[in-house]
Amino acid sequence: MFKKILVANRGEIAVRILRACREMGIASVAVYSEADRRALHTRLADEAVFIGTAPADQSYLSIERILQAARQTGAEAVHPGYGFLSENAGFARAVKQAGLVFIGPPAEAIEAMGDKGAARQRMQSSGVPVVPGYQGPDDDATLVRKAAQIGFPLLVKAAAGGGGKGMRVVNEAGELEEAIAGARREAHHAFGDQRMILERYIPRARHIEMQVLADAHGNVLHLFERECSVQRRHQKIIEESPSPFIDEELRRRIAGSALLAARAVGYQNAGTVEFIVDPECREYYFLEMNTRLQVEHPVTELVAGLDLVQWQIRIAAGERLPFTQAELSQRGHAIECRLYAEDPANNFLPATGPLLRFVEPQGPGVRVDAGYTSGDAVTIHYDPLIAKVIAWSGDRPGAIAKMLAALRETVLLGLTHNGQFLQDVLGDPDFQAGQVWTTWVEDKFGDWQPPQCELPPEVLAAGALLRLQGQADASNAEPSGADPYSPWRNASSFRVGKGGV
Amino acid sequence: MRDRFQSRDRIYEVSLERQGEAYRAVVDGQAFDLELIDSQAGVLTVRFNGRPAIIYYAPDGSSLWLSQGGCTYRMDKPSQRRNPSTGEAGGGQAVHSPMPAQVRAVQVGEGDVVEKGDTLLLLEAMKMEIRVKSPAAGRVKRLLVSNGQAVERDQILAEIGD
Repeated sequence: MFKKILVANRGEIAVRILRACREMGIASVAVYSEADRRALHTRLADEAVFIGTAPADQSYLSIERILQAARQTGAEAVHPGYGFLSENAGFARAVKQAGLVFIGPPAEAIEAMGDKGAARQRMQSSGVPVVPGYQGPDDDATLVRKAAQIGFPLLVKAAAGGGGKGMRVVNEAGELEEAIAGARREAHHAFGDQRMILERYIPRARHIEMQVLADAHGNVLHLFERECSVQRRHQKIIEESPSPFIDEELRRRIAGSALLAARAVGYQNAGTVEFIVDPECREYYFLEMNTRLQVEHPVTELVAGLDLVQWQIRIAAGERLPFTQAELSQRGHAIECRLYAEDPANNFLPATGPLLRFVEPQGPGVRVDAGYTSGDAVTIHYDPLIAKVIAWSGDRPGAIAKMLAALRETVLLGLTHNGQFLQDVLGDPDFQAGQVWTTWVEDKFGDWQPPQCELPPEVLAAGALLRLQGQADASNAEPSGADPYSPWRNASSFRVGKGGV
Repeated sequence: MRDRFQSRDRIYEVSLERQGEAYRAVVDGQAFDLELIDSQAGVLTVRFNGRPAIIYYAPDGSSLWLSQGGCTYRMDKPSQRRNPSTGEAGGGQAVHSPMPAQVRAVQVGEGDVVEKGDTLLLLEAMKMEIRVKSPAAGRVKRLLVSNGQAVERDQILAEIGD
């Protein structure tokens, strides 16, 4: 086993990986940018190395600086997390060339799945069903001609893409050229690659993905599905396992295709094969394979009873998977909600600001994977994900009820976030009946506004009490940089308990 | 003590009166008993008409964030807040940034004639591209930002005039 691992990421996923290292008795190294000097992940690691300024290409995307940090600290392996360099085959190769172990799949597997067009072709020839579409020479004229053959609505999608970046739904021929231009621009910016593919757009499609785990000894297993149909702007917000939609037979077929896909590219380590399922005919199609750990991996961990990050590390160290497919099962039901710093009433635009106060929910069956604590700030530089709340219970209604209770207990003060929105989605009868699809959030909650609830009298009274005690105004605080929760701030005549003011 | 709070467009009147160990709170004319059970940094535990309530708070400039029972509230001192989306500036119609971001591409120049809905510029934040569209047909009277510039939420980016 490795003695020291470098985590080439930030936020909640860096924290998650650092915790796994700690549990396994492996020393850990965090890297951080200027914007993350006091970030949680830097405080949890055994060592933390400064790697550059806030823009990601100067820090978390700099292969050179990350490898330099690994050399300097004597790390033996690098965990890329998700996002940033996690699906960069060049990075995987550079790590290997530096004599270190990349905790993830072989560079060739990343490459094979990284190009959406080539992956489609490869899957097709391996017998994995793909959405009818086009990949190949992608000059605008060819795309326009091919689009007419596929028919509308269709998807214009970055060949190098992922996470909904560089992707457009085109409803009619007249919108096509602007959509291609916009998708190319976004893709160029996000991936440095503006090649496009086309796919038929399946209305009311469900997003169902299979977690796979493969060791270096030829064992390829699946850890069942996650359903991630609750999305906004192609970004998932609520994920769960098992899916409320598929039955045992469909699960077996999709899992079979997922294993086929993984084997076709010589996959090793943890990965996810994404499918879209047409609810009308119950056919499923390969969408893409994410050659890394997913944001929503905790729901699988809770239902399958395995620690995916620990297994990623063990597989990278050459260990053999000690269980067989028949020994794995889904137990109970898990749901994950992503708490984002964003404004659901304003097109889900990201919000920034200080996390003046963040109180995580607790209790049996509630897990929180957070990258921030009170006093941190969400900046414009990185993803607006603050934390993931995951709830597990014996069945789906129980998991939903637990999640709602957990969200009601969550306190997030100082910036606009989607906590109330998530509660409204979970409380929706369609969601509770499992009747959702990938554009369901836009279709049903497109004009969502926070409930115009009156301020409850107890909150108003508490506000008045705080003002009376001089604690309601930040200008009463010490000069900038002071901790607003410092006990010294409250050095008035006010005393804890029932004492007088 | 009497106090006034504003939340969204509503103004609330609250008065607190000391009564022995507790308070009598009058909120918009209705009276409640308020007892402070515990106070930690950022958290008050009170008994409100006999019922316990835990209220988290954080001051933020002159406003106060409060959270109770899964809802987040922001209370301000009553004032006439400007509404940025309808703000008129320099005789033209101001176009504001919807969020803190970086200007990725300015697609028009001063003096250009634009239609309502035309893309004026592209912003980027958190790996996302945001199109800023013209709110009206007219001429770009002023362009206040350039490529690569960082902008704040509600910052005026351009003005569209006749």
